Amino acid sequence: MTTHAATGDELRTSRLQLRLRNLRSFMGRFLKRRDGVLGLAILVVFTTLAIAPQLFVGPLETAVTASGMRLEPPSAAHILGTDELGRDMLNLTVHGTRTSMAIGLLATAITVVIGAVLGIVSGFIGGATDTVLMRVSDFFLVLPTFVLALILAPVLLDVIGANAELFGMRMTLVVIVIVIGITSWAGTARIIRSQTLSLRERAFVDRARVIGSNGRQVMSRHIMPNVMSLVVANAVLTFAGAVLTETTLSFIGLGDPFQPSWGQILNAAQGAGAPGLGAWWYLAPPAVGIILVVLAFTLLGNALDDVLNPKLRVRQ
Amino acid sequence: MSSRYLARRIFQALITIAFILVLNFFLFRLMPGSPERVLTRNPNISAETKQQLKAKWGLDKPLFPDQFIAYIESTAQGDLGLSFKYRGEPVTEVLGDRIWPTIILFGLGELIAVVVGLGLGAYAGWKRGGSVDYMGNGLSLVLYSTPYFVIGMFLLVIFATALGWFPTNGMLTVGATYDSFWERLQDFGSHLFLPLVTVSIGLIGLYSILMRSSIIETLAEDYVQTARAKGLKDSRVLRDHALPNALLPAVTIVALQLGYVIAGAITAEIVFNWPGLGTLTVDALAARDYPVLQGIFLLLAISVVLANLAADILYGRLDPRVRV
Amino acid sequence: MTDIVDPNVDARVVPLRERRQWPMPKQADPNAPLLEVEDLKVHFSLSSGSVKAVDGVSFRLEDGEALGLAGESGCGKTTTALSLVQLLPQNAKIKSGSVKLYGIDLVPKTENQLLRYRWREISIVFQGAMNALNPVRRVGDQIAEPIELRLGQSKQASRKRAGELLDLVGIPKKRGAAYPHELSGGMRQRAMIAMALACDPAVVIGDEPTTALDVMVQAQILELLERLRRDLGLSLMLITHDLSVIAETCDRVLVMYAGRVAEEGPVSRVFREPRHPYTRKLLSAFPNIRSDRRTLDVIRGSPPDLRVPPPGCRFAPRCDQAMPVCSEVVPAEVRYPDGVRVACHLFPPSADATLERPAEPVVDAPKGPPVVPHEPGAAAGAATP
Repeated sequence: MTTHAATGDELRTSRLQLRLRNLRSFMGRFLKRRDGVLGLAILVVFTTLAIAPQLFVGPLETAVTASGMRLEPPSAAHILGTDELGRDMLNLTVHGTRTSMAIGLLATAITVVIGAVLGIVSGFIGGATDTVLMRVSDFFLVLPTFVLALILAPVLLDVIGANAELFGMRMTLVVIVIVIGITSWAGTARIIRSQTLSLRERAFVDRARVIGSNGRQVMSRHIMPNVMSLVVANAVLTFAGAVLTETTLSFIGLGDPFQPSWGQILNAAQGAGAPGLGAWWYLAPPAVGIILVVLAFTLLGNALDDVLNPKLRVRQ
Repeated sequence: MSSRYLARRIFQALITIAFILVLNFFLFRLMPGSPERVLTRNPNISAETKQQLKAKWGLDKPLFPDQFIAYIESTAQGDLGLSFKYRGEPVTEVLGDRIWPTIILFGLGELIAVVVGLGLGAYAGWKRGGSVDYMGNGLSLVLYSTPYFVIGMFLLVIFATALGWFPTNGMLTVGATYDSFWERLQDFGSHLFLPLVTVSIGLIGLYSILMRSSIIETLAEDYVQTARAKGLKDSRVLRDHALPNALLPAVTIVALQLGYVIAGAITAEIVFNWPGLGTLTVDALAARDYPVLQGIFLLLAISVVLANLAADILYGRLDPRVRV
Repeated sequence: MTDIVDPNVDARVVPLRERRQWPMPKQADPNAPLLEVEDLKVHFSLSSGSVKAVDGVSFRLEDGEALGLAGESGCGKTTTALSLVQLLPQNAKIKSGSVKLYGIDLVPKTENQLLRYRWREISIVFQGAMNALNPVRRVGDQIAEPIELRLGQSKQASRKRAGELLDLVGIPKKRGAAYPHELSGGMRQRAMIAMALACDPAVVIGDEPTTALDVMVQAQILELLERLRRDLGLSLMLITHDLSVIAETCDRVLVMYAGRVAEEGPVSRVFREPRHPYTRKLLSAFPNIRSDRRTLDVIRGSPPDLRVPPPGCRFAPRCDQAMPVCSEVVPAEVRYPDGVRVACHLFPPSADATLERPAEPVVDAPKGPPVVPHEPGAAAGAATP
């Protein structure tokens, strides 16, 4: 029997060991889910393309540097054909990966941060704050992002100015990120809030209170880590939704032709009459990209959700 | 369904509509081209003229409550302003022209999807397992990940452009004359077909997944065992005991998704140049026709709220436990 | 436990054939016992193995009798009851044995053929406090449903009959228009009883009918069951882990352990002089308000994992009178002249104890947890030494 209280170092080591063990068991369970692994694999491929598209296809072709004839079907020189300006579709699509995923990532980050913070605060503090926040979130839940974006995006853009750039991203796209972010948090907030509510009743919160932690400490040190697994699964699924939403918004004309996302490419295709002309090569690459990425995130998100948050219902 | 439930739901809907109107009001003030911006941005207008314009547009009164009330009044009377793009045509007229094609497309599509989707899903949940089930699940998942307009584009390329079975554009053939109502209906139908399929397919995928899991959960309930113990045939157990209960969560989720479905349907219109709100949105965005955009926003937002309310009421009729 | 129903004070049992309005199945044998179950074996297949939930259970139910099925949770009593009309989940199968209702074996029947027997011959009163009633349909409709669909009566006639049944169980007729969530737990249970009687069945099975109810309501329900039994001459099978309920309502009791029969016989005999060690432990676990004891007896250990059941007598690991033979040979079932049947090596076949089912020696000795669970070989065994 030890006769000394554990030192800080010992506590840290044992906590680390516990985390490693948890991680290993998680990996074991996750790798059994073929759908999740497939999703992850697809995402790795696309993320690689997104990080450095120039490495794979060179710089983004513009109207000036277009390398082919207009609307050429796929050929040896241009594997995926060209658009109405003569730009190589493969080039456009790979660069589009970066734009689409970057927007998705940033929008998701905003959504998750707002949603998690508001969810935890609302669930933990309760009372009037909770009621007000939930009413507000109901409003955002009912109205689809698309509808709100119709109004918010053009207004924001005209107020801020389209030609500015923020961290290398044109304002048009930043506006899309902001709009998606501030309209999608409601779903996340609701989920986090109910988890917080059930955690609040648990013993360890009471214990924390007894030893004198204040609300903020309890929220960040005790509730947050336990909510994390829920947040992660939710974030991945939110990413899927964000990509879909961005695609739709770009398609209706809120995108930026200078930093085209997949949705923007499809917008251009529609404008050039590609479907009516039978130019399937203009449509297929971005479409396939969208479908694969959204599908991958959905599969991954569902798998993560099942692994991290097992539903313990006993069925006959 | 108790009147308290009904009253509460209506009240909530009204509050949401109030929020929408408030949001719309404030955005109106920020719009470029709105009277305020014209006044504040433009240094060339003399102070006197500014004052006159302000008085004319009622801007010298306080923002709240006078301007707000004026805004509510005019909106309630159907005055949504004048379109920038269509040379001063009232927004309500612009919207009015385009609303029916959208209602037809969306309404029919939703109807077909509900019947087919819920039906397929119930069947899949009943006959659980097997390769058909897994394939169906996979297909539904892929469909769920595909934006509506992408589905539309591919249908168009294959069936209209390549195979030529359907027209590629619009609601009626341009410049056509018809000998009979029947002929006109046929032309309309052939134009409607692909957009309708586009809207329905996406929804069918969603609804069938939904219903399938709902049925599976319902079949595990105790009262289903009681029904089987009563010696009722499987079909009757499904129809009289499982389905009515499985529909309840399905209705809820159908209602929740309505907003997204409307958005998707509108984008699908764009692909086929269907003369509804979708194509109007694209045009208005491109021209920065703010009054029209606001009108669309108002229309869509309020429709979604009302649709949710209708779904809530329907739920209240289906579930007798909602009598608290 | 001194207040025990004396089987000699009789129920005026009106024979089933006389009181029934509805025809019997064509193949019914008038001379056969009402219900006879022989060597029933039911297995569940899980991904982790095959669970032998019911492993060789036999019993008989005569017309007008009330048989109690007692035992811990998971001993197989509910599975036994459900398997009579094959209401088991997908992964369960009747491996062998027979279930003879009026001499008609129900085991080989297909799902379609079984429909005839469900509810009309054998009905079940589930725990009404749970979700056993359809929450979106009115209670009266649910009672009328089998009358209309199974007996072919008109809607009107069915409703009328449902009203009569509600009356019978003590629920005001107009409450039939209520939904299940509008009724109290006790009323829901009564409604379930009314529903079970709708087709005038031969056997009514009560699956823990009073478990979720408070004591006062429990007493009312038991009183109702007793009254119905006497007035209608019902044959009842009552499944419960609560021995006092059996003591109050049943003529005979069947004590099950880990899927097998431990002891069976008239309630007065079994409860006054339990033979099987498990029965003894079970009875002593119930506090007697009149005795002097202050502490409760506890059975050490826990019920076995039925994927890998203990060889020989399944109670042996927990029995404090276990002998070496107990884990090597499945004990024989013997019957004593007082009507009690018991399966225990402490009560081997003898002049007094007639052999009803021979012992079965275990063929292999187990070597740790076997991967393929082994069933005792069906040796045409001689009696054990």
